Amino acid sequence: MADIVLTRANGYSKEDIDACVARALDALNYDINVQSSSVVIKPNLCYYWDYSTGQTTDPRVVSAIVDWIRQRAGNQVSIFVAEADASAMRTKYAFKALGYERLAREKNLKLVNLSEGEIVDKEVAVAEERFVLPVNNLLLDAGLIINVPKLKTHMGVGFTCALKNMFGAIAKPRKFAYHSKLARTIVGINKIVATDIVVVDCIIVSGKTPKKMGVIMASDDAVATDVIAAKTIGYKPSRVAYLKLAMKEGIGDFEDPKIIANPVRPEDIKNAFPRQNYFLQQLSWKLQLKLLRFYSKISKDVIPPILDE
Amino acid sequence: MIRVGVAGLGRMGKLHFLNALRNKDVNVVAIADARRSNRKDAEKYKVKIYDDYRKLIGTEDLDAIIISLPNFLKKESIAYAAEKNLAIFVDKPLARNFGEAEEIVNIVKMKNVPLMVGVNYRYFESVQKAKKIVEEGSIGDVVIATSELIMNGPFSHPLVPTPVPEWWFDKKKAGGGALFDLGYHLIDLLHWMFGDLEVEFSVLGYRYNLPIEDSATVVLKSSKTSTRCVLNAGWFSKIIFPNFNFRINLHGTVGYGSTDRFAPRNFYLHAAREGTMNLLRRVARKKPNYLSYTYYYASFAKILDQFFESVKNGMQMPITLQEQLSVIKTLDKAYRQSEGTKIG
Repeated sequence: MADIVLTRANGYSKEDIDACVARALDALNYDINVQSSSVVIKPNLCYYWDYSTGQTTDPRVVSAIVDWIRQRAGNQVSIFVAEADASAMRTKYAFKALGYERLAREKNLKLVNLSEGEIVDKEVAVAEERFVLPVNNLLLDAGLIINVPKLKTHMGVGFTCALKNMFGAIAKPRKFAYHSKLARTIVGINKIVATDIVVVDCIIVSGKTPKKMGVIMASDDAVATDVIAAKTIGYKPSRVAYLKLAMKEGIGDFEDPKIIANPVRPEDIKNAFPRQNYFLQQLSWKLQLKLLRFYSKISKDVIPPILDE
Repeated sequence: MIRVGVAGLGRMGKLHFLNALRNKDVNVVAIADARRSNRKDAEKYKVKIYDDYRKLIGTEDLDAIIISLPNFLKKESIAYAAEKNLAIFVDKPLARNFGEAEEIVNIVKMKNVPLMVGVNYRYFESVQKAKKIVEEGSIGDVVIATSELIMNGPFSHPLVPTPVPEWWFDKKKAGGGALFDLGYHLIDLLHWMFGDLEVEFSVLGYRYNLPIEDSATVVLKSSKTSTRCVLNAGWFSKIIFPNFNFRINLHGTVGYGSTDRFAPRNFYLHAAREGTMNLLRRVARKKPNYLSYTYYYASFAKILDQFFESVKNGMQMPITLQEQLSVIKTLDKAYRQSEGTKIG
């Protein structure tokens, strides 16, 4: 049975976040043993919008995790903060724009672009289909992988948390190519690269709007984390395609995890989350685009390139 | 028919290209773009396609060229087009700094070719109504004018995401950041309304740690009307079309006015109304108001139509080079004033 820790920061200062992350990781009681190997931290840096938008991992959360690891495992441990290029995002600019370059200087961390360096094509089978995903060797050789996702809704898959964050670790920059088989690819990468610890940055969450929630969720199981995360924002895990597939593939723990909630409860997050009806949003968006194309066809009016596919 | 070429088929270039295709006085002969994907996109429009704007200008018999190239290619492409005596429509900014702008103006004057800069914000109905308020004096003397344009700048991307071209992050190639990109429009509008502007204060913001500023606040004073103008420009906002965070507020000795009052309050109602009107215009065999349903993008169609009309009738361009020189001069001063006042 997986453990899920839910804890709330006293405020939004760095000290509050440091204390909150340390409390969450202490409560998780994970036995870390990385003296001779490396730790890879995978934040969610999907684009250049900073933590205040609720879209990307707050570097202060990563900073607190680094402090906690160094306290537990000593200063000699090599810590890497790793992210891959995305269809529209270049990691070198994201590290700079989102404050990770500064963090790396302050904490003596190594920033790694997972789209560069030694990339290995790893074969994986999901739903009886075999396919290959390019993965950076750093992830395959790591002693400990700490997945630091955001809790947010997502136009493509409904919501994103731990499993979807690892999709961002696939070395291929143009991940848009995987979007037609998103659920399969998300499950595939999580089969190849297993997360050891998940620290969900719910300091600022993102739904209909960003919202200051001040919560950290920690777990030793990515699937259990996503099941609880889905429930806390009002989604049925069985209706989220990639979670459903992950359940079928048996890659994590789906049984009711042990929730160590202090002092925040899952219902508190559920009540406060700025919910967004994913199905209505998708329907409305598709309808708008269809109407636009129909209008353009009969009126011969222009469609601005920003709305073109 | 005006024979036109389009140099650069990025997002703005493609928009100009589509707008030009719908102008009955225009024959878009060819396009040029260095990117293969952009050239491939253009194949369905049955125009000649080049991978270099110089080949386009050198090969085709053109009357006019639309230049929608990165800022660092503006001077050489304008010079090349002027050499061939083409009428030139160029996206703003005209140049990366005042010195380069002066060189461009000299080249254009020497060759005596018309050039118009695409400062499309002048073609918003809301801006034109605000300008009328100033001209008619209906709110008295405008003592303070505040202007805001906060968007996502180069960080916006189409439905199929593509990376921001890297030249945007290089001050040498781009000329500047949010002040140069968005502040250019605001200074152009304030200059258009109140005449020459002096920079009183300027500060740049670097929230995103990039080599170019992502926000700017500039205080200006009109030497003609004494109006004090405040400019706030920023790229830091994850704002998505159709949301549009732009306004000019006019505070006069009798009352106040704002472009917000003249802009659509509900974008979707506006789009439905304009879309229906365009369909009716088509039924009545009248020219549609292209892109009016988007409000924002209609200004691009209007300014390009104005350029073609001026070329067709041999008229003077409605946006003068002297005005654009003043805008860039003011921007240069704002950058100089901000030195030492950078904020995070």
